[in-house]
Amino acid sequence: MRISCRAQRPARWCAAASLAAALALSNARYGQAYDDSTFREIETKYIFGFTEGSSIGLQGEKEVSLETVAALGKRDGRFFATQTKLEFEHTPSQFVQIEFGALASSHDIENVTGLDDRHAVSFGGLFGELRYLLVERGASSPIAVTLSAEPVWRRIDETSGERVTNFEFETRVHADTELVANRVFLGFNAMYEPETTRTSEGAWEKESTLGFSGAIAFRPIPPLLVGAEIWYLRHYDGIAFNSFTGDAVYLGPTLYLQLTRKAFLTAAWNVQVAGREAGQAGALDLADFSRHRAKLKLAVEF
Amino acid sequence: MHAQEFARFVAAASIAAAVLLPPGGALAQQAVSLPLAVKNHRFEPAEIHAPANRPIVLAIRNLDAAAIEFESVSLRVEKVIAANGQGVINLRPLQPGRYNFFDDFHQETQGTLVVR
Repeated sequence: MRISCRAQRPARWCAAASLAAALALSNARYGQAYDDSTFREIETKYIFGFTEGSSIGLQGEKEVSLETVAALGKRDGRFFATQTKLEFEHTPSQFVQIEFGALASSHDIENVTGLDDRHAVSFGGLFGELRYLLVERGASSPIAVTLSAEPVWRRIDETSGERVTNFEFETRVHADTELVANRVFLGFNAMYEPETTRTSEGAWEKESTLGFSGAIAFRPIPPLLVGAEIWYLRHYDGIAFNSFTGDAVYLGPTLYLQLTRKAFLTAAWNVQVAGREAGQAGALDLADFSRHRAKLKLAVEF
Repeated sequence: MHAQEFARFVAAASIAAAVLLPPGGALAQQAVSLPLAVKNHRFEPAEIHAPANRPIVLAIRNLDAAAIEFESVSLRVEKVIAANGQGVINLRPLQPGRYNFFDDFHQETQGTLVVR
């Protein structure tokens, strides 16, 4: 437990700093009274934390971003792993968005059952993503729906930090709606993520993750959205749901902050609140999933 | 391995089909041209009208001595238009509704496209 708390510090610091920045900026810029006209339409892609909204950007828009996802805590020992995306995003049409970039990974692992101790930072791989807006919100549908596919190549295993060859193909359905125009939003994701990994012993291992999420985001002042999300994840050996190995329920807060006209920050913190590992008696699945996960993204449009 | 290849093929084919198929037969319809000007940091007219389910061409003249960035989240477009310059924005066929737009460089400059 002592070690787990140490691992939580960086993400807690990030969350606290983000909230402080949000409040400071909000007070400075919006301390005065504002009316409904100041709540302009907003893109929903990044307002729900790990859950992604349906927005695909504006035609002609380009964006660079730095996005770090951290996994914290296993059953025992100290576990802190991050994956950082250096990403370029472009919207070439009113229906399609493309993204690509490089991955960096870091691992700080000590005394975790089943994992070697490791303290390393490495170039992690490459990724791309294609998003297509299938249904737009409007008179005929209150819900917008986007499909996405994200192929990833990794040279460093996400969990163990070992040198591997990994190919992942994440597919998602993103849906969202407005409960109150420009103020309150609901988001939903369904995710299927097959992957295959060649280990250092030369064997290919296949696995897959199935996930569903729901999120709500509330906009108290124009540049700030706060909310919460819930995720249900199931992990399998094999890519076609061959052998169930465990599941997890994550719950946590989300934050989106428009820093300037062209820059924003988004953060999320998820805690595993329920789950089970197949064939094990203990609560939670800390073999396939981490105890906590956090996300921090800083993006600049141009 | 066969199952993996099949899953990837299905996913890739779905995305490709969605990208390649134009929504609502948009390509077969003739576009509606809408002129719009910016003068003294105001859209003229501030409200424009267009029929539903037809492609739209916005022809924007910037009559000010400063550049503008035409932007709209609901129209899903943004475009910088130089001072005393012109720009054309092609919009997809739209559903009935009100679509707000503004100049991102001068955010008090706002307008609305009403689609019926």
